Amino acid sequence: MANEREVLFNRGDQLLVSTSRRSFLQVLGLGGVVVLLPSMFAACGDDGGDITNPTTSPFRLDLSTDTGILNYAYALEQLEAAYYTSALTSAGFAALSTAEKEVLSDLQKHEVIHREFLKQVLGSAAIPNIVFNTTTVGNLTASRDVLLRTSQLLEDTGVAAYNGAGKYLTSAANLLVAGKIVSVEARHSAAIRDIRDGTNGRLFAGDDVVNASGLDVKAEPDTTLTAVGSLNVVTSALSIGTPANESRRTPDQTAPTPT
Amino acid sequence: MTTNTTILDGIDPEIAADLAERADEVAQGASTSSALTAALALGSIPVAMAALSRDVYAQGTLPANIKGVLDFALALEIFENEFYKAVLGTSAVAALNTAFAPVRALAIAVPGAVNTLQQIQKHEAAHVATLLATGATNVFNLTASSFDFTGNRSATGGGPFAEATTNLAFLLQVAQGVEDTGVRAYKGQAANLMSNTAILEAALRIHSVEARHAARVRRMRRAAAGAPAEVRWSGTVRGGERAAAGGTTLGTLNPTAVGSAFDKMYGAGASSPSESNIMHAGVNVSALAGATFGAEAAQEAFDEPLDRADVVAIVQPFFIPTIS
Repeated sequence: MANEREVLFNRGDQLLVSTSRRSFLQVLGLGGVVVLLPSMFAACGDDGGDITNPTTSPFRLDLSTDTGILNYAYALEQLEAAYYTSALTSAGFAALSTAEKEVLSDLQKHEVIHREFLKQVLGSAAIPNIVFNTTTVGNLTASRDVLLRTSQLLEDTGVAAYNGAGKYLTSAANLLVAGKIVSVEARHSAAIRDIRDGTNGRLFAGDDVVNASGLDVKAEPDTTLTAVGSLNVVTSALSIGTPANESRRTPDQTAPTPT
Repeated sequence: MTTNTTILDGIDPEIAADLAERADEVAQGASTSSALTAALALGSIPVAMAALSRDVYAQGTLPANIKGVLDFALALEIFENEFYKAVLGTSAVAALNTAFAPVRALAIAVPGAVNTLQQIQKHEAAHVATLLATGATNVFNLTASSFDFTGNRSATGGGPFAEATTNLAFLLQVAQGVEDTGVRAYKGQAANLMSNTAILEAALRIHSVEARHAARVRRMRRAAAGAPAEVRWSGTVRGGERAAAGGTTLGTLNPTAVGSAFDKMYGAGASSPSESNIMHAGVNVSALAGATFGAEAAQEAFDEPLDRADVVAIVQPFFIPTIS
């Protein structure tokens, strides 16, 4: 597009600087391009050895189309699938009970199925494989506690992302597919939260995710991508090329980072 | 980042003052909307307040298809809310509180069980309030006494689900079916809400809460050691028809009728496949190139919708008035 603007960020915390954030929001409003450079996702103090092969061209999602929204979902499913696949051989997994291992094993299968399903549906329109920082992923699976906390964060992020993205889909068939997946993500979140809750019996749908109106978390795509960036697990550049329909935007309600 | 505000929290002070004034008028005998009357009949202050806010600030007319979805969702949420209130002993119908006393005592003995039932009931009550505030109408004039949780459409009960008042494992199996039916119902209506994206998003956000509920109930059943492996620790739905309910415990009163009910909850609808379906958007998800985990994981990875008429067929036995 002729009036397209581009703003480059190479550190995630630049989004927290008011001038950068204003530019970021202006660009979104103008339908411009925001590029989150690979270095933005690198862990602080990382030895650099794992960012060996970031894809050189950023993945620019066109969120004005169903294909773009499904690619956004595909990116998130790639993240979840990669995380749980790594988790299955982790020290954190080894420390789980038999029942807890069943949960993580189920989640790994479901997320890999979601990833491969979306890849097949998108066909040649699918974004490339995302590259992950194996060091950071390894750190996030190193103990039972961090494994479960990260799983909770990922599942809540997924629920919020799908809940916030459904309104941008223009095809009823695509909305149905998204609906078939999001309720499974919500089940995952509830299971992980319930493990972390012990015998309290409330965290599965805790007041931190379900508000007083009985509504679950939701997040706009830019909110989600910024949150994913802060995990420092993605070494590929994920960016919004064309934003979603701004007139449909609603306030976010995201889950707090589990502690 | 978290914004746990209620509908009422979001109302500005000027509007709140108008609401208070209108509440005074109602207290002094002013005529009110049927929604407000219904909310008061349900004994719910949040519901009454939500209805009152709409009573004062009547919204523009919603398209008939959207309104129809909201009205239907409201009926389901009132049903769920009244079910859990009866279980918890907080129903406006004393006989229901008494009927569920035996199973309530069993639930109290399980750590976390009552907390969970309270948390779920709180959400169902909030869904009733939210739907009313969004423009739904209680078109079937449902009150706490509109339900027969034994599934006999009778004020005196006597249906095949009566065992839910005395058998905790059976109660939880029924609760799981109720929640999963809610998930399927919302999923089936999403496409009908696409012309109003704000309402669509609210419906999606209720939909995922129902899924959280169903997952936790599954875990409670599995933890009680009576449920089979189909009842996944991950909270997901394996299989279809009665097998997806963990079909080994269909109760002792009338396993035939109960089994048939679970077949409907987890089976195919008029235009929807069974929960055992593994074909989505023309893709067989049990044998994807990079994901060859077989049928069971594939069934779990996707949930299925139901049409309105399918859902009505499932829940009508629990409603004394005829719904449609």
